[in-house]
Amino acid sequence: MRNNKLWSIYLSLFAAFICILFPWSGIALSLRPDFMLLVILFWLLRAPNQCSVGTAWFMGLWVDLATGGIFGQYALAYTITTFFAVIYQRRLVLFSSTQQLVYVFSLLSLSQLILLILKAFAGHEFVGWTYFLPSVTGVLLWQIAVSFGLNTGRHSHGS
Amino acid sequence: MMRGIHQNFDQQQAPAFFARGPSPLARLTFFTAMSLALMATDSRLQYLADVREKLMTLLHPLQVIANAPSELYQNTDEYFSTHHYLLAENARLKKQALTQDIALQRLNILSLENTNLRDLLEAKQSLAETSILAEIIHVGRDSFTKKIIVNRGKNHHVITGAAAVDAKGVIGQVTRTYPSSSEITLITDKSLAIPVQIERNGLRAIAFGHGRDNTLDLPYLPANVDIKRGDKLVTSGIDGVYPAGLAVATVVAMKTTQDSPFAHIVCMPTGGIENDRQLLLVSIPESKQEAATALPANATPASEKSKLSTAAPAAVTAPPATDRKPAQNTKPAIAAEPAPPPSANAGSRPHAQQ
Repeated sequence: MRNNKLWSIYLSLFAAFICILFPWSGIALSLRPDFMLLVILFWLLRAPNQCSVGTAWFMGLWVDLATGGIFGQYALAYTITTFFAVIYQRRLVLFSSTQQLVYVFSLLSLSQLILLILKAFAGHEFVGWTYFLPSVTGVLLWQIAVSFGLNTGRHSHGS
Repeated sequence: MMRGIHQNFDQQQAPAFFARGPSPLARLTFFTAMSLALMATDSRLQYLADVREKLMTLLHPLQVIANAPSELYQNTDEYFSTHHYLLAENARLKKQALTQDIALQRLNILSLENTNLRDLLEAKQSLAETSILAEIIHVGRDSFTKKIIVNRGKNHHVITGAAAVDAKGVIGQVTRTYPSSSEITLITDKSLAIPVQIERNGLRAIAFGHGRDNTLDLPYLPANVDIKRGDKLVTSGIDGVYPAGLAVATVVAMKTTQDSPFAHIVCMPTGGIENDRQLLLVSIPESKQEAATALPANATPASEKSKLSTAAPAAVTAPPATDRKPAQNTKPAIAAEPAPPPSANAGSRPHAQQ
C-alpha cells in the first residue's frame, strides 16, 4: 500500500515535469499553471510522510534546470511554500473545499512572489500583473481535479 | 507498548502517529540554505556549468517525449494542408528563388572583387562564416527572460557566441551550448546588447533589449541625433560576433523630451522573433575574431599591419574561445576592418556613439 503510494507520487511528479517540458508558447505560456507545485501540494496534503519539503526542493532543482535559470530559484520558492503547507497541513485537511482553494491560491501566489523577488535581485523587471495568472489557472486546475473526484485528503465529514 | 508511549510522552516527543522526522522548520532552514548556496555558486562562480550540461543530457530524452504531441500535430497538419495552399507556396518559393539567384550571382562577383581589393590593401582575408540550420524546440519557460532552445548543440559544432539569424534578420545569440541543444538569448532580452549601424547614414550605436516587450532601445544618443522613423538598423560587424550588414530592427518611434539630453528611440526587430521555427546559427571563424581582439584600438597604421600579420597565425592555432561577449571586443575590432563596410556612403560615417 505504502509502496504503491510512493510509486504514484513519483509517477505524478514525473508527469508534472513532462507537462512543464511541453513546448508552451505565447498566451499558453503566460497561463501555464505550475504543475509541479500543484502535484507537490496535493501529495503534501495526502501523504505528508512520503512527500515533504525535501521532495519539493529536489523537484524545484529539476524545474530550475528546465527553465534554464539560476540553480536554486524554484528550489527555494518550493521549499518555503511547502513549509507553509506542511505547518498547516493538519488544519488544511479539515478546511472546507472553498477554504482549501483559497489556501492553495495563496500558496501558489507565495511561490510566484518569492520567484519575483529573486528575479528582482537578478535585475529583471516586473512583467506586469499577468505574471500572477498561473496562480489563478493553477487554482482552477486544482478545483477541476477535486470536482473530478480527486481526494485532497479532506475529511468528507468535515465539510 | 503502553510503557513505550508513556516514555515518549515523558520525553516530550511526538508519538509515532505524528512522527515526521526532522521538524518542518529544520527542513526549511536546511533546504533554504542549500538553495541559497546553489544560487550563489551558480551566479557568481562557474562550477555548475558542467553539472548543468550533464543534467541537460539526461533531460534530452524527456524533452523529446514532451515535444512528441505537438510535433505529431504539426506533422499531421502539414500532411492535410490543401493542394491549393501548396501550389501557392510553391509558386511563391520559385519566385523567391529566382530573385535570390540573381542576388547571389551579384554576390559572387562582389565577393571576388572584395577579395581582390583586400589583396591590394594587403589586409587579412575575412573568412566565410559557417552556418548551421537549427529548429526551435521550445521557447523559454521563464517569463522574465527572452530565450529559446534549439535542437543543435555541441555535437553539431555550435559554439557559444554564434549569432542566430532568420530569413529577415538577427534574432539573438547562442549563450549556452549543451550536447544536443543550445540556448539562444534573443536580442529583446534585457541582458543582450547588439552593436548596430543606421543603414541610411552609417551612424553606429548599440541596441538594448527590454525583456518586457518585443522592442529594442537605442539609449544614450543625443536628442539631436540624425535618426528618423523608419530607419533601418543593421549589424555593424565591429563586435566580432555578428557578421556585418544583417538587418536587426526598424525605428518605430523617436521622442525627445525637454528634461532629458538623450533621445528616446524605440525599434522593432525585423527578425521573426516570435513566429519562426527555423533559424541559422552563424559563427564567424575563430582566426578572424582572435585577430580582431589582438589589436589595440588606436595603433598607428604601420604597427597595425605588423601586428595583424603576427596575430593571424597565432590565432589559427589558438584553441576555440568558449565565451564571447559582444561588448568587450567592440573597439579593437574597428582597427581590424580596414576595408570599407558594404554601405555606399561609408566615407561619411561619424564616430561611434555609445
